[in-house]
Amino acid sequence: MAAEQIYISAEHWALILGKWREQYTVLAPLAEKRDLFFQLIDSGNAGRIVYDRVRAAQPLKSFLLPPLEEVAGVPNPSIRSLLFLGAKACDLKALQILDHAFGGDFADPSYQARRERSVLVGTDCTDPLDTCCCTWVGGQPYPTEEYDLNVSGVRGGFVVEVGSKKGRALLAGFEGHLKTVVKEKKQAVVHQRKQTVQAVERKNRAYRLSDKQKQVLVGAWDAAVWQKHSETCVECGACNHACPTCHCYYLDDITRKAFVKLRGWDACQYTGYAVTAGGGTPRPRLVQRFRNRYFCKFDYLDENYGICGCTGCGRCIEACQGKIDQRTAFFDLDAGRRRKGTRKNEPL
Amino acid sequence: MNPYESQKAVIEKIIPETPRIKTFVLKPEKPFAFRCGQFVELMVPGVGEAPFAPSSACFAPERLELTIQNVGYMTSRLHKMGEGGTVGLRGPYGNGFPIEAFFGKEVLLLIGGVGFPPARALLYSLLQEKERFKRICMCYGANTPNDIVYKYQIERFQNDIELHLTVDKADANWKAAMGVVTLLLDKIHIDLPDTVAVVIGPPIMMKFGTLKLLNLGLKPKQIFLSMERKMYCGIGQCRHCMIDRYFICKDGPVFRYDLLNRLPDIWE
Repeated sequence: MAAEQIYISAEHWALILGKWREQYTVLAPLAEKRDLFFQLIDSGNAGRIVYDRVRAAQPLKSFLLPPLEEVAGVPNPSIRSLLFLGAKACDLKALQILDHAFGGDFADPSYQARRERSVLVGTDCTDPLDTCCCTWVGGQPYPTEEYDLNVSGVRGGFVVEVGSKKGRALLAGFEGHLKTVVKEKKQAVVHQRKQTVQAVERKNRAYRLSDKQKQVLVGAWDAAVWQKHSETCVECGACNHACPTCHCYYLDDITRKAFVKLRGWDACQYTGYAVTAGGGTPRPRLVQRFRNRYFCKFDYLDENYGICGCTGCGRCIEACQGKIDQRTAFFDLDAGRRRKGTRKNEPL
Repeated sequence: MNPYESQKAVIEKIIPETPRIKTFVLKPEKPFAFRCGQFVELMVPGVGEAPFAPSSACFAPERLELTIQNVGYMTSRLHKMGEGGTVGLRGPYGNGFPIEAFFGKEVLLLIGGVGFPPARALLYSLLQEKERFKRICMCYGANTPNDIVYKYQIERFQNDIELHLTVDKADANWKAAMGVVTLLLDKIHIDLPDTVAVVIGPPIMMKFGTLKLLNLGLKPKQIFLSMERKMYCGIGQCRHCMIDRYFICKDGPVFRYDLLNRLPDIWE
């Protein structure tokens, strides 16, 4: 079902944003050299917010799941209400993985509090990067879920979609500024989205697979592709840290304060990642750790939470020091699968 | 409820088992109920946390016994602690042994080294309802006679169950078998269709123990393994302990082998 749509002119939008800044800490992408970064918005920089283009450099987990955090033995942290303006589809989709991981039986109180108190205003992509691959993993470059409001830029203003009660509440009090969307503006959004989809598809044409990534991995455990593609890996963990869904962490008492526990982002590409007390590890070789990331993303997370662990943001490709591209790895696996003699695992 | 918060426990007693292994008798602030086969996260305050399976009976939750080998940073600091010291406890976590599934069967425990502590917790539970099992037989292997834990209880267990011992390297006083623990399996009679086997021990022993049981004719679904990897969180979040798609901390640590044997490289 199509979400409720509203038109807000640029002028009125600026007024609304000004009001939001009084209630929330507003974070939105600003351009810095070639990249976009979520930054604190004030009256001075609100005019420079980039509503279109592409995802910011930081994934949302940077804010909802801080890289280092004291999670036990300290008073509950005071959590600000954050309003994210300009979250893209790939980042919003990624929250579903984090919600599963940090919800449920052992829900993480600070993640939950941050999630509940944050407001998500999405925007459509218009200029995908060469590394963007949302369509390659079955997604699209405009938000369809997890947003409270979504904002698509059109001539003279924005077409706003309401995605939740929270989103509806955000617009309360501004009824005078909300207009019905005329047909041309609706069509302009549809047209722009179609253009962007085609642009992403063009960028990924060379990596087209015969099946979903998860299927391509069936029988690929012993494939030579892992060796080939991991050759330039320097085990820096950038792919893990830049990923919007990677959420492995370690717990440490490094503060040396009794009963204070520090949680930090970990990376499965690190040698010491799964090392046990005796010094043993299930993945001593680089190629095994490399392969683990692919299986975790495209198979295990899907099995655990029913969602693919990759949302196609392309950060892992962009961040890689060794110029490793997961799309090429999959393409090679897929090609190998169709050749005779590929060693298959027993079917699961 | 903050799942990362530990409750305090006092070390009431320390029992030296071997030069490198001690049993810590803990008195938790609140009774600590668990199912045998589950594990806890034990914390040395300001040092670190590590997962251990209790070695005490799960039906006596006022005291918790953990038998721990000095192998790493956290355990070396723990071994330096004295009676009266305070540690932290989280848990219990994981699934535990499906004891009801063992009713009416011959229960064969194949245990190596420091696999005895969780096996002892299991033995206590089995002995609680001894009449429900056709037979309880344990094969236990240690490196040397000196490395055997619970020496002071061996006689008691020999009276209660069928206990076979072996060591890799014997000394002059050793009267039982010599060699790896799987060799004991050749010396006992196993009623194949009516047996369930439980394997606990170091990875290499678990691998060859399981393969030996399969060789003898046991089916994968008759073999239960207590797996272990680095369980940081214990609650299915941090993903360090994953074996393929399974969280050892949440889906395990006890796995029936017919689930694991479909996965690649489980022994690595």
